[in-house]
Amino acid sequence: MSRLLEFLSRLVSLFRKSKSERELSEEIRAHIEMQSEENIRRGMNADDARRAAQRAFGGVEQTKEHYRDQRGLPVLEILLQDIRYSARTLAKNPGFALIAVLTLALGIGANTTIFSFVDAVVLQPLPYPDPDRLVSLWEVSGPKAPDSFNTRGRGISEGADQPRRTTVSPANLVDYQKQSTAFTGLSSFDTAGMNLTGAGNPERILGEQVNANYFSILGIHPAQGRSFLPEEDRPGNNHVVIISDDLWRDRFGADPKLLGSSIALNSKKYQVIGIMPAGFVSPSQYGLADRLRFYVPAAFDAELLAQHGDHEVNVLGRLAPGATLQQAQAELNTISDRLGKQFPNTNENIRAEIAPLRNDIVREVQSSLYVLLACAGFTLLIACSNLANLLLARAVSRRREMAVRLALGASRARVVSELVVQCLLLSGIGCAAGLLGAVWAQRLFLFFAPPGIPRLDQVALNSHVLIVASLLSVITAILCGAFPAWQISRGQPIDSLRAGERNQAGASVLRWRNALMVAEIALSMVLLVGAGLLLKSFFILNGVPLGFQEQHVLAMNINLPNTRYTTGEQRFTFYMELEQKVSAIPGVESIAYANRLPMRGGWSSGISLESGTPEGTAMVESDFQAVNPGYFRTLGIPLLRGRTISSQDTKATEQVAVVSSEFGNRFLPGQEVIGRRFRRHDKAPWVTIIGVVYDVRRDGKAAAIHPQVFLSAAQTDLYPTWLADFAVRATVEPHSLLSSIQQAVWAIDKDQPVTNVKTLEEVLSRSLSPRRFQMILLLLFSGVALTLGLVGIYGVVSYSVSQRTPEMGIRMALGAQRSNIYALILRQTSGLIFAGILLGTGCALALSRFLESFLFSVKPTDPATYVALAILLAVVALFASGVPARRATRVNPVIALRYE
Amino acid sequence: MSAEKTDLLQGTLDLMVLKTLQALGPLHGWGIARRIEQISDKALEMNQGTLYPALLRLEQRGWISSKWGASENNRRAKFYALTASGRRQLSREEAQWSRVSGIMLRFLKASEEKS
Repeated sequence: MSRLLEFLSRLVSLFRKSKSERELSEEIRAHIEMQSEENIRRGMNADDARRAAQRAFGGVEQTKEHYRDQRGLPVLEILLQDIRYSARTLAKNPGFALIAVLTLALGIGANTTIFSFVDAVVLQPLPYPDPDRLVSLWEVSGPKAPDSFNTRGRGISEGADQPRRTTVSPANLVDYQKQSTAFTGLSSFDTAGMNLTGAGNPERILGEQVNANYFSILGIHPAQGRSFLPEEDRPGNNHVVIISDDLWRDRFGADPKLLGSSIALNSKKYQVIGIMPAGFVSPSQYGLADRLRFYVPAAFDAELLAQHGDHEVNVLGRLAPGATLQQAQAELNTISDRLGKQFPNTNENIRAEIAPLRNDIVREVQSSLYVLLACAGFTLLIACSNLANLLLARAVSRRREMAVRLALGASRARVVSELVVQCLLLSGIGCAAGLLGAVWAQRLFLFFAPPGIPRLDQVALNSHVLIVASLLSVITAILCGAFPAWQISRGQPIDSLRAGERNQAGASVLRWRNALMVAEIALSMVLLVGAGLLLKSFFILNGVPLGFQEQHVLAMNINLPNTRYTTGEQRFTFYMELEQKVSAIPGVESIAYANRLPMRGGWSSGISLESGTPEGTAMVESDFQAVNPGYFRTLGIPLLRGRTISSQDTKATEQVAVVSSEFGNRFLPGQEVIGRRFRRHDKAPWVTIIGVVYDVRRDGKAAAIHPQVFLSAAQTDLYPTWLADFAVRATVEPHSLLSSIQQAVWAIDKDQPVTNVKTLEEVLSRSLSPRRFQMILLLLFSGVALTLGLVGIYGVVSYSVSQRTPEMGIRMALGAQRSNIYALILRQTSGLIFAGILLGTGCALALSRFLESFLFSVKPTDPATYVALAILLAVVALFASGVPARRATRVNPVIALRYE
Repeated sequence: MSAEKTDLLQGTLDLMVLKTLQALGPLHGWGIARRIEQISDKALEMNQGTLYPALLRLEQRGWISSKWGASENNRRAKFYALTASGRRQLSREEAQWSRVSGIMLRFLKASEEKS
């Protein structure tokens, strides 16, 4: 208790110092006077009395010191003193302070920014209860696709012989649900767009079709109303909808009566039975630019549920309590095998696989972010070694001052701690500046970020990020500060006090500075190699031919709701009419429409192809599109042989198709393609191949070339085609045609929205934007690193030159020419630079394999890149060292020799 | 020499100050120093200055309180007085001293008899 009182008094007394000092002096004075008077009473004379009194008292200053130690909190006071002193010192050297703070701000700011993204996107748990129990489920087709295999091709497709991940067949899903025990539930989910009409303008909104247990699985239920009932997840009962909170507010003005009434989706009435809580984010939202605003039951119909080969939907689920991922996977394997035996036609070699839901969401972005974090980390290291160099130089110049302090009795710890405090102050300011920069950089990043990075809305400077930033700055301070301090405080003070700038401390300091310089060069090399590889990769990618001409083409979505356009024939009629109307618009060169244009998706399917094999036919898989005659001209796809689709190819005439040359190369090598026939299955009509066109990279520049089949849109019974994409090739600025096209659409159907209007160039640019973004960032980092490295090299070489000035003087006095001196310094510096580049190359070779997934037809060990960058770095570094080297040659030998 | 003096007093100075204040009532710093020198019969020559940090410590722990007042010669001086908790601390330390010195005395006597 008394100890506590003591501590509190000590704390309080910090604020009463001057008063306390005054009183103490007064008290001591009074004491000595009283003792003097007593001495006088005893018979001494006045002077003797006073001296005796003082001697009896002991050292006044010492007493005061002990008193002060007892009174305040010495540790705190020393700290405050050091801080004040450091602040004063920094204020007197604004240049040094500015460089140091900027260097740190850059390093810490960059790391904080990237880390805040890593935190929001990768580290934070998903916003659902128990999010780690959520899994995504998909199906994998083994090396050989089963006979009947139809998919919308979502997911990653590998080479022809690799297992291909696809969406799930609802029929299989039902079996997984029924036969498994490891899940509390599995639900399908699929994004769907519908036209909302009625209150206000027709608007196309995006939503999801889900099973009834979707919200139970996620663990988040509507804030108002209720979730779906199992009965509502069947055809006929399924005209109910749950809407999002923002749709309720934006479109319906938060009308309290909306719940229970109906809204018109695709011209059908859907009863609103629930409104989701504000801030609810469905897993599909991640990676989607448009907001998901409604949820309707999936309501699979009987036909779909009988088709085990129709892989249509995404699936997520929740593990049952106590079940592990491995157990669930094993169970699914058993079920898949069982289904494979039960339905060999469709399920042979099909397996279901699961993985944590989070992996799917962050998968693509995760590795990018980690690469960026590593780059930011390297940049910080370079900044740190620059700072350490700077501080080392300063500490050297303060050697005498420190020696004096040590000689006067300061403990080594005290001297070192003062330097550390100075570094902490610097890094504190640097950290604050860095955080400010990070806020700004965050906004910039968000603005330029390519679309489709999930969870960006959660990026903020939250507590995690701040803690990391503070830790970084403390570690940097200790790294940069303690080390020079320790270096300097070694050795006897007397050595430093002796006259002469050069001594042993100088030599070892130089060694360390050289080592730091080598490290900086190595790190810069690593960053440069990363940037260089990405740059090369990007340029190669850019040069990849798409197979069609993307300039001057305006594309848009016109999704005809199946409530008003129930048959393929009706949809085709709409598009035909539209083509007629739009061709009358001036500036329109040609028109294309298809189920999907390139880079917007498509479907793939298995077909039975007439080939030159003994069986006569072979099962092959190909990508499909249904197009109009003008398609090839509009997109600029050259014809190689035969003819393209024409207006003569209608329902009444023979079924025809055009294929890409890859189709011929892969499935009919060395044989005549034109005239061959294929069909979907045994009961389907034969389709004759009438032409071969140039290969098209349907999924963008980075995608592999798949075999392609083009059907005529007019021959609608061939496949259940859904025409949805419309494009025009323009002779004028493409966007200027939009309003005329819209007028044409509304003239046919006033309730039909036109969405997603972009030129193909814009679509292409968007598809490249993640790579471009990453490349730019990496270039930025390596640019910063290079600049920092240059500054560092300049500093170190200047220092070494100044250390060796007398030596230069002697050499010149002995007859060396300026050019000899110059060459000498450069030779020695280039040795260090070479070492740094070598070290950096080694590290880059080891680390570059982490970049492999981002590179496009560039090996991580691409020799040309390494050599080019090594040369670049060497030239730049030599240039940086050349400037101070030149200064060495200007030394006047006489002055140099007097330098002592 | 002076190191010896301070060491001896460190543990016992507090006790002597408290006892002095109990015996003589509120007293200023010099008065306490003089009393200690008197009682110890000049056997203890201490640097009087060491008293002041000790007085501060005692005050911080709440065992004594201080107040500015007028001395015999009407000089302004700081007077220290024992507090209630100081009285309790004093009796605690007195009891401890008696106990410890009693044990030591018996121990030394016993060793003497043995030899």
